[in-house]
Amino acid sequence: MNAEHLQSPRFTPSPQLMNNLRLLSILGAVVTIIGIIFVPEREWASMLLAGIFLLGLGIAGVVFIAIQYVTNAGWSTVIRRIPESMLSSLVAGALIILIAMAGIHHLYPWSDSSLMGSNPILKAKEGWLNVPFFIGRTVAYIVIWLLLSTLIIKNSIRHGEEGELRYRAKSKTASAIFLVVFALTFSLASMDWIMSLEPHWYSTIFGVYNIIGAFVSGLTSITLIALILKRKGYLTEYLTGEHFHNLGKLIFAFSTFWMYIWFSQYLLIWYSNIPEEVTYMVKRQHGSWLIFTIVNVLFNWVIPFFALLPSWTKKHEGLLLRVCIILLLGRWIDLFWMILPPFLPDAPVVNIWELAPMFCVIPGFFYLMFKSLAKRSIIPAKDTMLVESLPLYHFHG
Amino acid sequence: MNNRYLLCAFEREADILSATRLAREQGYKIADVYTPYAVHGLDEAQGVKPSKLPWITFALGVSGAIAKLWYQLWTSATSWPVNVGGKPLKSVPAFVPVTFEIMVLFAGIGTVLAFFVVSKLFPGKKKFVKFERATDNRFYLALEETDAAFDVAKIERMFLPYHCVLTSENVELGYAGDRGARENRR
Repeated sequence: MNAEHLQSPRFTPSPQLMNNLRLLSILGAVVTIIGIIFVPEREWASMLLAGIFLLGLGIAGVVFIAIQYVTNAGWSTVIRRIPESMLSSLVAGALIILIAMAGIHHLYPWSDSSLMGSNPILKAKEGWLNVPFFIGRTVAYIVIWLLLSTLIIKNSIRHGEEGELRYRAKSKTASAIFLVVFALTFSLASMDWIMSLEPHWYSTIFGVYNIIGAFVSGLTSITLIALILKRKGYLTEYLTGEHFHNLGKLIFAFSTFWMYIWFSQYLLIWYSNIPEEVTYMVKRQHGSWLIFTIVNVLFNWVIPFFALLPSWTKKHEGLLLRVCIILLLGRWIDLFWMILPPFLPDAPVVNIWELAPMFCVIPGFFYLMFKSLAKRSIIPAKDTMLVESLPLYHFHG
Repeated sequence: MNNRYLLCAFEREADILSATRLAREQGYKIADVYTPYAVHGLDEAQGVKPSKLPWITFALGVSGAIAKLWYQLWTSATSWPVNVGGKPLKSVPAFVPVTFEIMVLFAGIGTVLAFFVVSKLFPGKKKFVKFERATDNRFYLALEETDAAFDVAKIERMFLPYHCVLTSENVELGYAGDRGARENRR
């Protein structure tokens, strides 16, 4: 059995679509820049949010590939070009976060040394939370991720195109290292970038919470792109209900895991009821912030859980598409719920300044994704595992 | 109801899938398919209805959760109210972990038991290995021999492209998804 007779279709997005996506993205970026000039106290946070959102999608794509390599999984080979193409989002997201570091004094109260001096709790954290070390760490995380991701994906692409096993072996080694390094660095990064927005508060589960959130968003965007490609007539004979069933199961499981971690964090804060911890939840439950808390749980777990519970819904493309969109919205709500409360303490405000960075980032994600997807064949045609990923009838006789 | 079956053996996964699908499309009644491992797409090729087991699991999970939540509320707020750390007596967040665990326990154990009941498995049941290679490297398709018009030669011809390696007539099945099958005691 081999896949030699398979055609290698190429993805060609319509130039009009690409132009529109680029235009929308640039428009979003321009409004963001205007916002930074005129309402810096609100815009920097939304920009940080958009950067973390985009970076999360990109890095989750790499995590997905790494898991496939480490576990020797074959079923996903046919869609592997999708997460491979998400590397561009990791680069773009990292860039946005690096730019957002220019607004460090608007974002992080601990960056103000006079405040640090007068506050004994913050004084004790000064060894970790100081501007040079913080920027250094941010750069270090990004450099480490980019190095390992490129190593995995470069070899993964070569394996898909040339079929030589040594590339697979290289990807596998890099994947194993990456997964360990990712778990540690992404935990620290989410504590640095998000948790330190409220430097009094701490939660030891915060890193896991963010890893899962990013991974769910990555899984849903992989599924979303696969569904879109199939709708546009690509991969129609290769992508079956079984692939979507597997992706749906992963989304279902990790969405539930997200809820598990969310509640684990909530329960301990609620139980101990001490001021440093509980103020975080109080802030997010008073007034109309409560709506965000409820919608967060609804969109990220309740709706996907019941929608994806039976097995047929995971294979139903229209339904899966809707669940993916809800979960991606949920990811934004989750990040908004984590990042914005210190900046909008009275009530959540969502208007042009909050939305502009997302309108830059989401079309930008699709633009970058489609662009790198169009560079080479849409399936890794020579991958040694491809046979395991295709429906059986391709090999009959 | 008839209890005679035609047994066809295949050597490859792709063959059993195609042969099963063809037999169903040609209108033959498929009694069962025996494979050494779970073959993806076989349920669809066989045309079997989705199992009702998930509904049993769901119902058990929901009833386990409700029962445990009620029990905790009753013990800590009604039967013997205890003030823990100044929290309200009916502090639902504190009850969630145990409710969750009992839901999983009920759903998990209940599903296994329901499966045993549905498939009539119980301790001390005589083992049934009619086709030994079905647990090793062969795939068997059992067709119901419905009436006199059932033509074995025709079926053999039909399965020729799928490398049917063996057919045996008038086989009795010890168990199958079929009420007419007689218990095999040999």
